[in-house]
Amino acid sequence: MEKPLAASKNVMKNYLSELMTDEPLVQKSAETSQTDTRITETIVENERLETLLKNVNANIEVQETKLTTHKSVNEPISNKNIAEIDIIKKAVETSLVTQKSHGNVEPQKQKTYRQGDFQALYFEVGGLTLAVPLIELGGIHTVDKTTSLMGMPKWFTGVMLYRDEKINVVDTALWVMPEKMDEHLKSSINYQYIIMLNDSGWGLAAENLIDTVVLNQEDVKWTTSSNKRPWLAGLVKDKMCALFDVDSLIQLLNDGSGINKVDS
Amino acid sequence: MSEERRSSNGKSGVNDEVFQWVTFKLENEIYGINVMQVQEVLRYSEIAPVPGAPNYVLGIINLRGNVVTVIDTRSRFGLETCEVTDNTRVVVIESEKQVIGILVDSVAEVVYLKASEIDDAPNVGNEESAQFIQGVSNRDGELLILVDLDKLLSDDEWDELKQF
Repeated sequence: MEKPLAASKNVMKNYLSELMTDEPLVQKSAETSQTDTRITETIVENERLETLLKNVNANIEVQETKLTTHKSVNEPISNKNIAEIDIIKKAVETSLVTQKSHGNVEPQKQKTYRQGDFQALYFEVGGLTLAVPLIELGGIHTVDKTTSLMGMPKWFTGVMLYRDEKINVVDTALWVMPEKMDEHLKSSINYQYIIMLNDSGWGLAAENLIDTVVLNQEDVKWTTSSNKRPWLAGLVKDKMCALFDVDSLIQLLNDGSGINKVDS
Repeated sequence: MSEERRSSNGKSGVNDEVFQWVTFKLENEIYGINVMQVQEVLRYSEIAPVPGAPNYVLGIINLRGNVVTVIDTRSRFGLETCEVTDNTRVVVIESEKQVIGILVDSVAEVVYLKASEIDDAPNVGNEESAQFIQGVSNRDGELLILVDLDKLLSDDEWDELKQF
């Protein structure tokens, strides 16, 4: 009994130290690159604006790729001739595209862990090993008193208070394999950890934390269609276990859906 | 009970009103109901069953000449029934212009909560009883579940209670 506990504590230590060392570097580099990108974009935009204004004034046909600013949208069209209106229509279309790409906070569906090596955490519930990409974890807590709420799905264990946070705890075994959860299995499960999903309020209950590993793209058989099992990012070949797609899992939980998208 | 709300000097601003909640226990959880809806709290006395009453009605009590219907709160909240103890209370409340009693395991205290201290409950409930939850609040490390008494029964059920 003590060995798995000690192993779990080591895993937790590793996880925490990785969070403390890797994250800021990644964040810092990400912030720097973001600032650089913004400066570059501003310069490019200014150049494009200059070019665009010159082109409009000269009544020259403008290519779509060059028309990317708001200013071009706001050009008065009432006093222009037909040729100019055509140009401005193009500008409106292009500008709308540009706005969308700038305004969308999450423009890429591509996960960060879908490139190169990434770290994953293995954990266990009811004899089943599961994996989550480390970068999509919000933290790990030890299980504390959980308050159950009436009328919630069976897999919703309740709300656990952690400092000022309210964590919505998921009975992971019941969510993942509701059909196998008989009374015997239910009584044998001893949850000890809560694995937080990203920055959501959802946490998966886990019996043991097994290990954190570095996986490469070939180590995982990635799912091609997300319609049937959106929560499944892929299968880790070595461990033959499911790798969670955390964002989709959060979405399902927010919708109150069980693993089969049916309330359980 | 005379003051329902009072201005808050809290840092969250002028709209951060303070509400009073009567807390009671069911099973091991603590629930809160708006103090303004509570008329009185009674010790358990014999509840006379009513033949043909819906299953959420435990029966009726005589409160100073008035008949008050008592709701089976445990079954309403999806909990198993339990034995009556010395702590069992009937909380007489007014909701939807009707006076009813709710049977609870015990009544604890009256607490003050700022509006900013109340959070929404996770909106994943798939059963009717999930609607009863008005919000949740962290009270000294314990989660307080705030109950919307008006939603304790459906419109049809409130109408049905008028027959008693």
